[in-house]
Amino acid sequence: MSEPPASSAPPDPTGKRILMIVTTGPEERDKTYAPFFTAALMAAMEIDTTMFFMMHAPELLKKGTAEKIPLRQGHTLRHFVDMAIENGVKLLACAESCRDLCDLGPGDLLPEVKVVGAPTMADLALDADAVLSF
Amino acid sequence: MAIIEGCEIPEDRLYYIERTQMTWVKVEDGRITIGATDPAQARAGRILFLRVKPVGTVRERGKPIATVESGKWAGPILAPVGGTIVEVNSEAEKEPTLLNSDPYGQGWVARMTPSAPAQLAELLSGDAALAKFREVITRDQIHCSRNHS
Repeated sequence: MSEPPASSAPPDPTGKRILMIVTTGPEERDKTYAPFFTAALMAAMEIDTTMFFMMHAPELLKKGTAEKIPLRQGHTLRHFVDMAIENGVKLLACAESCRDLCDLGPGDLLPEVKVVGAPTMADLALDADAVLSF
Repeated sequence: MAIIEGCEIPEDRLYYIERTQMTWVKVEDGRITIGATDPAQARAGRILFLRVKPVGTVRERGKPIATVESGKWAGPILAPVGGTIVEVNSEAEKEPTLLNSDPYGQGWVARMTPSAPAQLAELLSGDAALAKFREVITRDQIHCSRNHS
């Protein structure tokens, strides 16, 4: 294992693709903030960033939910959802999770969210430069 | 120097105030210096991370020239005009809180040569800038409390 020289500039991540798999929903409040914040930061670095919400995570994207999740940072989760959207993060919700676990229809979700099937996650994962799991 | 809610707004700069952006521009010898304004740094809070695109990067107006992270905000600093990055404040990259403590001085972010200097005329100055600052500072409930001593 060789480490890169400390003086070298970090490689420009522009145009790289990152897929984030988010599985935690409102049941664990302290775990909801980091995925959105990290995604917002990566998108600001011009990394093509997609968040894929599955299991109970799509519930975070239900209209009216994020503003009811207060965080220790002094904002509600909505602040960080909006930041991610503003920076260009793409939000995808797993169709199977929405239907079978969360009882969510497409009209229940924020307008920025696209509902897709699990095969889309496979395509995105194979296509991404990195996949992060939360 | 105008002061709004404790936030200093120097009169010798141009301002790019769009959506999340509150950026200053100073024109000197055909180059521009770019930085975050006092209300921008106050809104972001303690800045933990700054990464600027490398020298030589060509950017259109509105495209990111840098990424900033604080504990409660992560986002880009956008090019206020199109051009080429000719200098990066590597001291501020090492010590990002310079953007908090001295936003108009040591906390500058990058220098660019504008590709279309006419775009500079579209930036805000004078009363138009102050009116826009008042609007954003009120909307986002910003209060600046730097130690001015």
